[in-house]
Amino acid sequence: MNVMGLTVLALFVLLMLFYSAMRKRWPAVFRPIKAYDELNTAVERAVEAGERVHLSLGTGSVIGSDSAAAFAGLSLLSQIAEATTTSDKPIVATAGDGAMAMLAQDSLQSVYKKANAGEHYKSISGRMLGPTPYSYTAEIPNLLDSEDVSVHVLTGSFGSEGALAADFGRRQETFVLAGTEDVLSQAMLFATADYLLIGEELFAAGAYMGSGALHEASVRTQDAIRLLIILAILIGTVLKTIGVIA
Amino acid sequence: MKLGPYLIWTAAAVAIGCVVLLGYFVDSQLILSLRLALMRWAVLIAAAALLLGLWNLLSVHWTKVSEQYQGWPYSAILILAFLVTLVLGLMYGPDNTVMVNIFNYVQLPIEASLMAILAISLLMAGFRIVRVRRDLSSVVFIGTAFIILVATGPWLIGQDSSLQIFFGQIRNWFSQVWAAGGARGILLGVALGSIVTGLRVLLAADRPYGE
Repeated sequence: MNVMGLTVLALFVLLMLFYSAMRKRWPAVFRPIKAYDELNTAVERAVEAGERVHLSLGTGSVIGSDSAAAFAGLSLLSQIAEATTTSDKPIVATAGDGAMAMLAQDSLQSVYKKANAGEHYKSISGRMLGPTPYSYTAEIPNLLDSEDVSVHVLTGSFGSEGALAADFGRRQETFVLAGTEDVLSQAMLFATADYLLIGEELFAAGAYMGSGALHEASVRTQDAIRLLIILAILIGTVLKTIGVIA
Repeated sequence: MKLGPYLIWTAAAVAIGCVVLLGYFVDSQLILSLRLALMRWAVLIAAAALLLGLWNLLSVHWTKVSEQYQGWPYSAILILAFLVTLVLGLMYGPDNTVMVNIFNYVQLPIEASLMAILAISLLMAGFRIVRVRRDLSSVVFIGTAFIILVATGPWLIGQDSSLQIFFGQIRNWFSQVWAAGGARGILLGVALGSIVTGLRVLLAADRPYGE
């Protein structure tokens, strides 16, 4: 039995529940992330102008190790969909994986039901664009152009094709926000996207967009565990330097 | 929380997620077998979801053609190509020369062209950063990219000169100290973010399977 692993896992869960319970007594104060501030403004502007928001969940699969980024994207999808249920042109979510497209459909359907706007939900609002990374990207310009998209959000797992997908958005003069878990793709997206979510900023989408107590608690948990890791690294470095550990 | 049938699939998702996660930490034969069986089911379901995704793709483009949306001819070409490839694939199988040729002479060149476009796009984006985004991070980004390019590419004159060796050392310092350190920091953040995202699904705070 991996006791160390289970202990760390238990620590994560306990901290999340603790911070969630302490939310009112000890409210979280988050540093501002410009990308999320600008996204809120851009979505409001798109709804008022009768333009569409496109959210891409990337080209990763549900069962792969890269699915966490797309799940973070699904949280963001629910929040943006809530804001666009009254729009003439509701949000479109796309993915490069069939299962992820179905999850997008389910998320959208839930949001429409909650907002008592079930009749506005269309199953083609969540769709698979193409089964390979570049076939997915190749369809993006057509989607942006033909569906009157003005806000282009890329939150999910992307390889180098993500930079191209963001660049297509820039060429159509849309607002482009991107976030992925891949470090190399983040470097490329820095050049092609208007706003980039670096590292864990992507996973904080729910907390910054008001998804609930556990989203805020998870960001605080990340910070607490990170602090412990930094301490461990520093102590390890000192011990190694003075020759206590080999 | 309202009562409803979604509680059943929420409970199922949480239970299955917990069993699969426990399989990585506990050396119990029962849990390991269960994890393996559940993972196999997941692969099968993902394959079925791919078929549904393709059906969804076809229906989206069929709607665009039938309602004559902007750009409908592209959708018509996609449907035609989709059906031709599907029929040929079913007739001859994926290893047949016809299918291999379709892959080698249609899909591969198109994807390679997109990669080539990516190189140009990145170059143009670099110029755009210099022109539009004049902040500290952009200056660092462009400066680093310039040094790495100069130190990595071949020199027309002065190849193997002390200046090129100096640039090479600077490049190594940037990539092995600053870039590697930064990348590890980012990866640490991504790993922590991935763990809490997974735990939120296990705690049923995030329910991507709907309500």
